[in-house]
Amino acid sequence: MFKKELVKFIVLFNRGFKQAIRPYVAVVPEFLMPIFYFVVNSSAFQKVVDLPGFNQASYLQFYAPVALLVSVFMSSGSTGIETVTDISTGFMDRIFLAPVNRWYIVISKLVAVGAKSILSLSIMVILLALFGASFHGGILGFFLIFLLAFIFAIGWAGIGLSLAFTTKNPRILQSSYIFFFPFSFITTSQLPLNLLTGWYKTAVQMNPVTYVLEAMRSILISGQIGQKVLVGFVVAVCFAAVTLMISMWAFKKSVVR
Amino acid sequence: MEQQAIVVKNLSKTYKGGVHAVSDVSFSVKKGEFFGFLGPNGAGKTTTMKMLSTLVNPTSGTATINNYVLGKQNNDIRCSIGFAMQGITLDLTSSALENLYLIGALYEMSRKEIDDRIKELLKLLDLEKVAKSWVKNYSGGMKKRLDLAVALINKPDILFLDEPTEGLDPVGRRKVWDYLKKLNKDGTTIFLTTHYMQEADYLCENIAIIDKGKIVIIGSPTELKEKVNGTLDDVFINYTGHEIYNEDLNTKAPDPYIDI
Repeated sequence: MFKKELVKFIVLFNRGFKQAIRPYVAVVPEFLMPIFYFVVNSSAFQKVVDLPGFNQASYLQFYAPVALLVSVFMSSGSTGIETVTDISTGFMDRIFLAPVNRWYIVISKLVAVGAKSILSLSIMVILLALFGASFHGGILGFFLIFLLAFIFAIGWAGIGLSLAFTTKNPRILQSSYIFFFPFSFITTSQLPLNLLTGWYKTAVQMNPVTYVLEAMRSILISGQIGQKVLVGFVVAVCFAAVTLMISMWAFKKSVVR
Repeated sequence: MEQQAIVVKNLSKTYKGGVHAVSDVSFSVKKGEFFGFLGPNGAGKTTTMKMLSTLVNPTSGTATINNYVLGKQNNDIRCSIGFAMQGITLDLTSSALENLYLIGALYEMSRKEIDDRIKELLKLLDLEKVAKSWVKNYSGGMKKRLDLAVALINKPDILFLDEPTEGLDPVGRRKVWDYLKKLNKDGTTIFLTTHYMQEADYLCENIAIIDKGKIVIIGSPTELKEKVNGTLDDVFINYTGHEIYNEDLNTKAPDPYIDI
């Protein structure tokens, strides 16, 4: 019984993963954008490291985790569109016709997106290294980074999935891309928290992505696996849990017809 | 006593906003029967099929499919039916093999069972040469045939077909007809909706015509034609008050009865 259920989950996961990476050419921009940000910002803001309180020797190193996180955003950002495509083409109904637990459909897709984000992150690490970034933290550090990316990707994909089940509208899903900007920019991506002030600093502190980014930075730049990493994981898990619950609720509403 | 494959009693579906898609529909289909379900666009054909295939919940009424109670034994129903829906319900960025394997695995078939079935279906539906190509590169007819193959992967006892030959050329249509006839002869109960009256006349043992969510007449094609002393087109027009559009008559397309 368990084996049969596992097989169903795995085939749905495989299909979700293939859908996320096909057509292969469509995946290329998911790397171009973080590389673009990395090259432009690490060049434009080189002198920022001279600011009192910056505490980093190289802006390139400071920005590398941002590029990694942007690649996670990019790799999981198309989940909603993919799901709307499945709904509008009738493929979702094809799956519904099969004797399969409905929750597998949502969870297998999210796990597939998480797996894809690990693949994207691996490629980005190599690309950033080619551009001069160096990473610390060792094998444990990379394991934690991949795990964090996996959890965060599920959380981010959960937003797209919720919108897909609620609206079933590809245009709205395309527009939802704008969420990327506040979530990714209103963080410590440009400057450390101690150099931020006013409402912006408050907004940065309220953004869950800030804590995920700080955890990545702590592992990869300083090689420290401490409180920042723990906080990053707790925030990522909470973020993923909330969006997962919302997407489950939206899915349940959409399948009751 | 003849065994029933489908028994529907007072089935109704009212969508949000108060749209009565199906109202108090009752009928039965014998095991091994080829049953036609005809009606104008928006009459409630697809909603009825979606209810019977567990995709849409009925608002009221009861139904048993292969002796399983709708709403209570939905997974058993799913295991015993196949449904080729209106339009294409395929993963376009996968191959025919991938589509068939995925659905076969969801029906708990073993790898060998799936491989054997895929081989058989691809040959029957003339899709062997394109089996490894992405579906999005297929012609409309090829997609339609693959959709039918997917619906048949689990060797269903009851097959629901929602306009299965829509968009097929006469040769493709004839091939599908021949295959459906064979399937039916081998014991599969077939529940068909179509806009092609010739198709219903050629394939179906019994026909129900639905209009505005209600069944207006049921009988064999011969009985129905005798009632109006005309063709099945005349029956359709007489009982629904709808003219059959040219595209429904398929006058532009070559005659599907041509010998091949």
